[in-house]
Amino acid sequence: MSAVPLPTAPSGPVPGTPGPGTTDVAVEVRDLHVRFGAVEAVGGISLTATAGRATALLGRNGAGKSTTMRVLAGVVPATSGDVRVGGLDVRRERLAVQRLVGYCPDVGGLVSRATPWEHLQLAGRLRRLGPGWEDRVRDLLERFELGGVAHRMTSGFSHGMGRRLSVVLAAVHEPSVLLLDEPFDGVDPIGVEATFDVVADARARGACVLVSTHLRELAVEVCTEVAVLRAGARVATLPAARMLGEDGAREYRSLLD
Amino acid sequence: MSTAASWTDTARREARSSLVDVGHLVRFRVGTLPRRTLRGGLVAVLAVTAVSAALPAWAPGAGDPDGRAGDLLLLLGTGLTSFLLLGVLAAVTGGGGRELIARDHAAAYPVGATADHLGALLLAPLTIAWLLQAWLLLGATAYALGPRPLLVSAQVVVVLWLLAATAVAQVVGWSLEAVRRGPHGVRLVRALGLAVVLGVTGLVVTDRLLPLLDASPTTVVVIGLASPPGMRWGLTVAGLLLASLVAVAFGAVPAHLAARRLPADEARAETGIHRARPAPRSDLAALVRLDRASVWRAVPTRRGVLVLAGGPGLVAVLGDLPWESVTVLPGLVASGAALLFGVNAWCLDERGALWRESLPVGPGTVFTARALVLAELLLVGSLATVALAATRAGVPTPGEAAAVAATLTVVMAQVVGASMRWSAAHPYPADLRSARVTPAPPLAMVGYSARLALATTLTGVLFSLLARLPGWHVPLLVAVPMLCWSLARLARQHRAWADPLVRARVVGAVAG
Repeated sequence: MSAVPLPTAPSGPVPGTPGPGTTDVAVEVRDLHVRFGAVEAVGGISLTATAGRATALLGRNGAGKSTTMRVLAGVVPATSGDVRVGGLDVRRERLAVQRLVGYCPDVGGLVSRATPWEHLQLAGRLRRLGPGWEDRVRDLLERFELGGVAHRMTSGFSHGMGRRLSVVLAAVHEPSVLLLDEPFDGVDPIGVEATFDVVADARARGACVLVSTHLRELAVEVCTEVAVLRAGARVATLPAARMLGEDGAREYRSLLD
Repeated sequence: MSTAASWTDTARREARSSLVDVGHLVRFRVGTLPRRTLRGGLVAVLAVTAVSAALPAWAPGAGDPDGRAGDLLLLLGTGLTSFLLLGVLAAVTGGGGRELIARDHAAAYPVGATADHLGALLLAPLTIAWLLQAWLLLGATAYALGPRPLLVSAQVVVVLWLLAATAVAQVVGWSLEAVRRGPHGVRLVRALGLAVVLGVTGLVVTDRLLPLLDASPTTVVVIGLASPPGMRWGLTVAGLLLASLVAVAFGAVPAHLAARRLPADEARAETGIHRARPAPRSDLAALVRLDRASVWRAVPTRRGVLVLAGGPGLVAVLGDLPWESVTVLPGLVASGAALLFGVNAWCLDERGALWRESLPVGPGTVFTARALVLAELLLVGSLATVALAATRAGVPTPGEAAAVAATLTVVMAQVVGASMRWSAAHPYPADLRSARVTPAPPLAMVGYSARLALATTLTGVLFSLLARLPGWHVPLLVAVPMLCWSLARLARQHRAWADPLVRARVVGAVAG
């Protein structure tokens, strides 16, 4: 099966508002189940995410957000259900899907005794980045204020530095589908702003962005819509604006209970 | 009169509280193990201990003072000294000793340095090197004394020696770790190591090593254990008990000192600059480069390879080992090197495993890269040992050269195959930053090391026998089917790694 071409957005979007008028489905999950032995981590999630938009996955701990992200990144196989990224079946065309996807995992995501530059060289090689990618990467590292530590082992990094580098690694190849799992966790305001820019850039070029986070206010700021997961299933998909402020917090709580 | 608590009261309270903490930590660690594995492991260790302490006493020639048993009794003192020296080496290499609970996990709890020291002492016997030496000493004592009533009292002395030597080794281990973490510590410890090597070499060259070992105080212990229960035996037992208690208590002092200082090796590694290299030319080269960095920048791996490459090689030089005996060394070194990370090879990625698994590369290439890097580590250690041994063994005959080459090749394939199999079957999260960390839990490490040592020693002994045959053909001909068998098993693992379920389980486990 060939990939559905992901369109390029006509103009730059504004974070927090709906993206350009693109409705092409980039991520399609139908009745996804993931079991680890006796534990059902995901129990029938269905959701779609479109190109040029950023969708937040919200929910309590254990709701299935990270596991869903791992399935979309081709890291964990689905027990059952249909998962398509860019029109490709993740189970059958894992490598092709992984070329489309940029993934920032929820925990660590870095090899301890390798430097950021070595991580990026590996990503550059395996993702077949063309000439000039190194300049783009240097710019990205500077935006995330990691330029000064590019040749130091990541085991000495703070949690926030590690998170920022994980976002850089996910975005380095300008993926068609950007999966960010807890990208704001322990990150300082400058790192948060840089991540916002990465999401905005991705949407501007027509990429689909999925952001899993517990920080509702940040999710609302950077995403156009919000999918709320509970106990391994999706309970609602709402425009991000409805999650704003006190009213949004009340509505969110009501969806979690 | 001062009402403040004296330092002895404080120390007693600290000791009591640390003992309670160690109890909790042991229960926590034991609780994470499958009951059957734990019970089976304990029963096996106790059974082998009982058998080695008693059975050799009924072997032919046992207890004969004019035969081999008499010679063995004379060598027992050297055996006891060697146990102490190897214990010191293990404690120094391990940065003081292993952790009952990982440093990052312990950070959230008020676990003090005394509890850490006691935990390291408890874990010290859970290595195959410690157990094998203990069984050897118990067996040698049983054979030397024969089936006499005093065998039980003699074995009591041996057991007390094992405990005292382990506690003393721990004191030395903590002390050197405290020095290493101090100003210019790494240089000081390296200089000390070099001085020891040069000193021992000097003793060998001047033929003074054996007289020195014969004159070691352990002969007093041997006389004590060979004596019937009475004044001398009682004094030996009391002396060893006292030494054990003093060493256990005193070990807390350097342990506290070390705990107050930052691990210099780790800090240097984490803050050092690693210059960028040109982009790799293939996917495999890129993967190998990252894996190689993970292996060679890890403090425990570097330190372990140095000891493994140098230790047996030095023994071969000092013991003037002939080529047919050198064939046993590559297997032992390869087994030891695999225990540095190979038996849990995927733990190298730690939390980076999730990101690496999301990269668009075939699982076969990833597997090949990891196996190659492991083989490289084993080969470096084994070749260094053989090179050292060759300096004394001279020019080998074609048969001996073929036997050594065949052993090297076969044990490489055996150890890499077994390691990759275990790595996929039993993955554990492990942070290899510290020299005190092992890639798998202690009981699992005992099992791995026993199986590796058995397989590779048998291979080494086989090729040692073949090295005595004329011509070079036979060792190579025997090596071919053994190599094919090991490579076929490795290929099966390579195929198994293609299963996304297997990879997801491993990645989930090592990423913690």
